[in-house]
Amino acid sequence: MVFSEAKRYYVERRVVERMSATGSGTFASYFARLRTDAQGEIEQFVNAFTVNETYFYREDHQLKCLTTDLLTERLRHKRKGDSIRIWSAPCSTGEEPYSVAMWLLENWPLVDEYDIEIIGSDIDTAVLEAARAGIFGKRALMRLTPYLIEKYFAPMGEENWQILDELRTSVQFSAANIVELNETRPFGQFDVIFCRNVLIYFDDASRRVAAENLFENLLPGGFICLGHTESMSRISPLFEVRRFADAIVYQRPAGST
Amino acid sequence: MPFVRKPTGQSPGPVADASSILGNLISGAADERWAAARAAADVPGAVTTLAAALRNESDSRVREAMFTSLARIGTSESADLLISFLRSDSANLRAGALDALRITIGGMPELLPRLLGDRDADMRILSCDLARILPSPEATTLLCTLLAGEPEANVCAAAIDVLAEVGGPAALPALAACAQTFHDNPFLVFAIKTATDRINSHHSSSRA
Repeated sequence: MVFSEAKRYYVERRVVERMSATGSGTFASYFARLRTDAQGEIEQFVNAFTVNETYFYREDHQLKCLTTDLLTERLRHKRKGDSIRIWSAPCSTGEEPYSVAMWLLENWPLVDEYDIEIIGSDIDTAVLEAARAGIFGKRALMRLTPYLIEKYFAPMGEENWQILDELRTSVQFSAANIVELNETRPFGQFDVIFCRNVLIYFDDASRRVAAENLFENLLPGGFICLGHTESMSRISPLFEVRRFADAIVYQRPAGST
Repeated sequence: MPFVRKPTGQSPGPVADASSILGNLISGAADERWAAARAAADVPGAVTTLAAALRNESDSRVREAMFTSLARIGTSESADLLISFLRSDSANLRAGALDALRITIGGMPELLPRLLGDRDADMRILSCDLARILPSPEATTLLCTLLAGEPEANVCAAAIDVLAEVGGPAALPALAACAQTFHDNPFLVFAIKTATDRINSHHSSSRA
């Protein structure tokens, strides 16, 4: 993560939060705690800097593209019963991978004919715990119809809903920093990766490393979906641009080994 | 539910030692060269081998990974190597080196003034583009210094193009002086007018 001078206030606010949470009276004492990683402070510090606000069916044009075009292409290389692997990285509190699962159940008639594996990953271990718990507030559900909320969620009091156990246990969550090859390589290769709104937080060198990691994590011919303001073409020439009716996505060339 | 969960904790694979990484850079199969190129940034003394490997690398994917490693190494030795590739006859090597230098120059402030002062006009043209990533005041100062003594119209055009995008009002006197020097070059006069209008309009809208 890289923060320019314009983000000074953002950084200061989070350092002050962590100083307060750890009872550090001065920056020097907090910094000493951070440097020695006392009680896992480095992880807490990283968690404080990640942006986790998202919601179900965000940028759903990419979900349309997934079922209309991307999976159709991927199926050319598969037989019924084969696996289809989809990775949401970063997944924050789980809205994206659960959205993919719900979208497939609702919109893809072939959903029962393949073994579909959906994995959510994030560097922030606290949000992964929240994702596993699958409890969401009103704001996260704002783009879902009452039908979808009733079908896939159980109310928890007035303000919260929990995603159904059956769906909650269908999605796997696991920590990963997409800039670290040793953390991404164990996930193997995917048909589709959703990597939205994270590369913008990296410096140029980290972006290139992340792009190369993601390239390795795609099967030849696999697709990567970025956020609508992001462009892989500005980061790395490894991928081919594919323009579909609903979205522009990037593809690992089918011929690359 | 049609969804399956499988264990994901596969091993990241064996860690190659430095000598096999360097060996694979030169003589491995494409996948081995790709893996070696990615690992090379963490191998001491890899720059020399990367230089030799890059000159003969035919796989664009591997070449990109080699340039990424050189950018990550970020030493004066790796920067010198990247600069040498800017002089290459191969467009692939020039483009790859330029992308890697965009990453490198942020941490090596002495690099861009040196490149903008290169004796080769083609090098100065390519270097102007690197200034795009700098903060506006820094890019403005460097490119105005270049314009003040630049005899080649094509180099001035490259600098003006970048100033139109990132330059601040401090660039206006240097642009006016350049317009006088090249008053008989209609393209440069037009480009300078466009850049001046753009800078004025950015400046006035940011003041509003």
